[in-house]
Amino acid sequence: MKGLTIDYGVLLPALAPVAGLVLVLVADLLLPRLRRVPYAIAGLASLGSAATTLPGLSLGGGSTRETFCVTGGFGAGSSSLPAVDGLPQVCLWQADALGSTLQLAAAVSALVCIALAWPRSRRRRPTDSTREPVEAVLLLAALAGTVVVAAGRDVGTWLVALELATLPVIALVALSGRRSAVAGATQLLVTSLVSFALLVLGVALWFAATGSPFLTPDAALSSAGAFSAAGTAPTVVVWPSVSAGLVALATVLVLAGIGFKLSLVPFHAWTPTAYAGSSVPVATFLATVSKIAALAALLVVLRAVAVLGTPALLSIAVLASLSMTLGNVMALRQDDVVRLLAWSTVAQAGWVVLPLVSISALGVGASATYLLTYVVATLVAFAVVAVTLRDRPHDGRTIAAYEGLWQRSPWRAGALALALTSLAGLPPGIIGLVGKITALQPVVAEGWIWLAVVAAVNAVIGVAVYLRWLRAVITADASAAAFGTVTRRPVMVAGLVVAAAVLVVVSVQPDLLLRLLG
Amino acid sequence: MSWIVRMVVVLPALAGLLGLLARRQRAVASAVAISVSAYVTVLGLIQWIAPSRSADIDTLGRLPLGDLAVPLHLLSDRVSGLVSFVVALVVLAIQVFTAWYLRDDPRYGQFAATVSLFASGMLLVVQSADLVLMLVGWEIMGWCSWLLIGHDSERPAARRAAYKAFLVTRVADIGMVVGIVALAARAHSTDLFAVLTATGEPALLTIGLVGVAIGVAGKSGLVPFHDWLPDAMEGPTPASALIHAATMVAAGTYVVARLFPLYAGHDGARTLLAVLAAVTMVYAALLAFAQTDLKRLLAYSTLSQIAVMLAALAAAPAPTPTDPRVGPGIAHLIGHAFFKALLFLGAGWLSVLTGATAIAALRGRLRRTGALRWSMGIGLAALAGVPPLIGFFTKDTVIDAALEGTGAGARIVVVALFVTVVLTAAYCTRAWLLLDTPVAATAPAPDDETAIVAEEDVAVVTAADSADDAEVERVHAHGHEPITLPAAFVVSVLAALTVVGTLFLSSLRGAVHVGLVGALLSVLLVAGAALAVWVLSDRGRSDVAERLPVSVRESAVRGFGADTAYAGFARAVTALARLVVVLDRDVVDAYPRATAAVARGAGRVGERSHRAVPSMSLLGLLCGVVLVAVLGVAAWR
Repeated sequence: MKGLTIDYGVLLPALAPVAGLVLVLVADLLLPRLRRVPYAIAGLASLGSAATTLPGLSLGGGSTRETFCVTGGFGAGSSSLPAVDGLPQVCLWQADALGSTLQLAAAVSALVCIALAWPRSRRRRPTDSTREPVEAVLLLAALAGTVVVAAGRDVGTWLVALELATLPVIALVALSGRRSAVAGATQLLVTSLVSFALLVLGVALWFAATGSPFLTPDAALSSAGAFSAAGTAPTVVVWPSVSAGLVALATVLVLAGIGFKLSLVPFHAWTPTAYAGSSVPVATFLATVSKIAALAALLVVLRAVAVLGTPALLSIAVLASLSMTLGNVMALRQDDVVRLLAWSTVAQAGWVVLPLVSISALGVGASATYLLTYVVATLVAFAVVAVTLRDRPHDGRTIAAYEGLWQRSPWRAGALALALTSLAGLPPGIIGLVGKITALQPVVAEGWIWLAVVAAVNAVIGVAVYLRWLRAVITADASAAAFGTVTRRPVMVAGLVVAAAVLVVVSVQPDLLLRLLG
Repeated sequence: MSWIVRMVVVLPALAGLLGLLARRQRAVASAVAISVSAYVTVLGLIQWIAPSRSADIDTLGRLPLGDLAVPLHLLSDRVSGLVSFVVALVVLAIQVFTAWYLRDDPRYGQFAATVSLFASGMLLVVQSADLVLMLVGWEIMGWCSWLLIGHDSERPAARRAAYKAFLVTRVADIGMVVGIVALAARAHSTDLFAVLTATGEPALLTIGLVGVAIGVAGKSGLVPFHDWLPDAMEGPTPASALIHAATMVAAGTYVVARLFPLYAGHDGARTLLAVLAAVTMVYAALLAFAQTDLKRLLAYSTLSQIAVMLAALAAAPAPTPTDPRVGPGIAHLIGHAFFKALLFLGAGWLSVLTGATAIAALRGRLRRTGALRWSMGIGLAALAGVPPLIGFFTKDTVIDAALEGTGAGARIVVVALFVTVVLTAAYCTRAWLLLDTPVAATAPAPDDETAIVAEEDVAVVTAADSADDAEVERVHAHGHEPITLPAAFVVSVLAALTVVGTLFLSSLRGAVHVGLVGALLSVLLVAGAALAVWVLSDRGRSDVAERLPVSVRESAVRGFGADTAYAGFARAVTALARLVVVLDRDVVDAYPRATAAVARGAGRVGERSHRAVPSMSLLGLLCGVVLVAVLGVAAWR
């Protein structure tokens, strides 16, 4: 642990939610009656987290903001590493442009989720349950986990952060107390436990193969490349092929473990149940922040593996095509918009991992780009659902409730239309189209023609999925009089406005998003 | 100079726009239309007499089309200067006349604006030195002609005539577009000079010239496409005057004249043009002889005369550096513009006076009309080619050019021209005799009975060719104001131009070149034909066309079934389209529909296997792990 330096400025994106979490608990202790205070603190904390990621966005190619740096080897790994002089120092926290962008996206998404969950009444009656502080704490904890997992580079931090991003969400789902919520939470819990086991197994294999607790390119090289580079140095890796196989197994096990969080088929079964059971803000959180956490975790591993020169991963291709197909086909049959969005998440997750068949900088960038387009569009769609549900609590979740929305509230309908066309990849949702093209680029570059064909077919089915909803939005409503009560919901609408503004900006100027990821 | 040329094209278009905006204020609309066309006429005059004769003028800058150069230039030279001046003059006359003629029409504003836009299209064709600009002007005219012919859109006959004109010229425009594309592809440029000087690629040249010839045949009403023009008489008379005299139908002649160096060097396209023109001029003159409606008679005479212009270009000898050899065709275009505008405006005037256009109802009505009688007489004499009117000079210049020409096309054209001279003189004499011989002198029956017969005749005739029902209705409904001084003045001016217009042509090389033999022969033929008609019609007391068999007359009035042939063609096309629709719907669409059905079925299966049971998700997870692990390790490279 010699020479460990800590730069708290770099850590601020993670520290802000943690501080907010503590503050919420303190505030709940002091002012238990005020319902909105926890959310206000949580919102400010995520805003702070978002603001502190901004310095990392302008980082050029390769440079990172680092802290927790140690020089030389670390712990048990140092004995197995060849003693090469001038070994670069290893940092446990590395936030480059990509990681910072993902952190920013997570923080902004969390902010919108908090706005959507904003309580209606200011004060709590003594009989009410104490939901708000708990929800705020859980949201902040999951956000902190997400922020950390995007930057953590050692297996311990990585695993803990990933679980920190997952377990509070399970509690959030269960919190609404309905029967369906409990069912969803149970399924989520069971799946996540098994997945965690897989993750730990994968990490253990990684350690066995590389002898390093770091998820860095250097560690990956030490399994296969280092001994051949330093031929004179004694190696403990006796069978290189076995070591390479271990790295492969470790990678795919990690992929399987994270596939659960990304809701890739066949690890997806919890998705529709959990989404439908939870409240809309929590579903929004599941669909956005959780996905960012999962992809950030996956990218950490894949970027480390990329230096091995592995051209492609067949298992990712299989998972991506399965997810896209099943997600779209199932989404086509849903009449409940939350379920539709849940299945759409499954399909979009396929698109997110699609470019990763080419484990390279190109594939990683394309995957992150697609994830961000998906997150922005999904946020807007969920925000519209939340606002509509506030107006029509009884039937707001059916597609039928959106008939004639264009006439009733054109702005909301316009935001929804832009979000749906972005998800479908049609103009005017330019960003969706750009994302799909970016995602297909590495696939085609690596020559995965069959996968590109599957993706193209799914793009077409996806259009049908979203247009089905969109048609209800823009068709005239005969029973326009059946209009729900209009409640005051300024904060909720503010959340919608923020998300929609981001969507409009990136739709008008897609290169903004592409530049952000370097 | 370049400023003037640009304004000549742009101002009428702006006037059209302004007129549309001001269509509710009748006075404003007519003031805009008339003043702008007067101004454009002055500009055209300046362009014509300006000392700098030839100029290449920028418009919008070149289009960025990569390999293809599209400079979008205008060209001002002697030919374009003269033609644009004449076009502007005729348009001015028509605008002035329209202000009187349509004074009770609630949609006068739209009509005047459309005429302005139409003029803009024609002037663009005249001034353009670029095939793209030429096509733009060509299309503007096509669209405006649809609006003008269908002006009385409450009448089904007018609507039908408008659609017919639009569809027929549109079909021919396919040839025009293909031809222009071929010529541009050959020259890698749409610039007129580049197109004219490009070499090589004979196949593209043939496609281009034949395509343009087909397009020209459509707009100018050569034989397979001729039948839209007589039907276009459903439009108000000023619209007919505009379409027939100086613009749309003449545009084809002008385009061929611009491309003449290419046609002169290509025997195939030239012979095609010569044959079409020869057939059309004779056939249309024959039909004109049998018409029972004054406007339709004039329409067929237009067909015949346009064919004469094109024949001049099809038969003229190859151009030399000093003589472009387009003079005869352009000269006839200008002469025809004067006397045909005169005849149409005169016919409009006469129809207002009498409330009819059927010749049977017009018999003897030219008597006691003063200036109108003189104007119609001058117009018909010029059409027949009586010296020293402009029609004589231009027609004999064409004959002279055809006699000089070589090749099979030129010989066919010479024969057709002489036949046409005879027939034209015959139908002009017939028309004059019928219009001018007092009815009282011919009919033993009392006047009122004749009138009734005439009305019945009208009724019989209108079943076939109700040329100007709108006018009849208009006059019958509420009468019409007597002609205004300006309207009468423009008719008189046109009559004067028909007499002295030959002077205009002196600026154009080869425009007036009358050979002694040809002239003598044609004068003799004209005189003989006139005399024959005079004798056969019993000095005008009877209609010489009645000597034709009744069945022939009736089918001639209907254009010998050309309309039926068009309808049959259209039905064949729609049947084919329906077949394609069926194929598309039942064969091609089956695959997408099957995809949808498969997706829906797969969704149903998926739904059954997705009950909210944790054990099911665990099962899926385990399967996934095995799959991923096996694939991952096996495929690791």
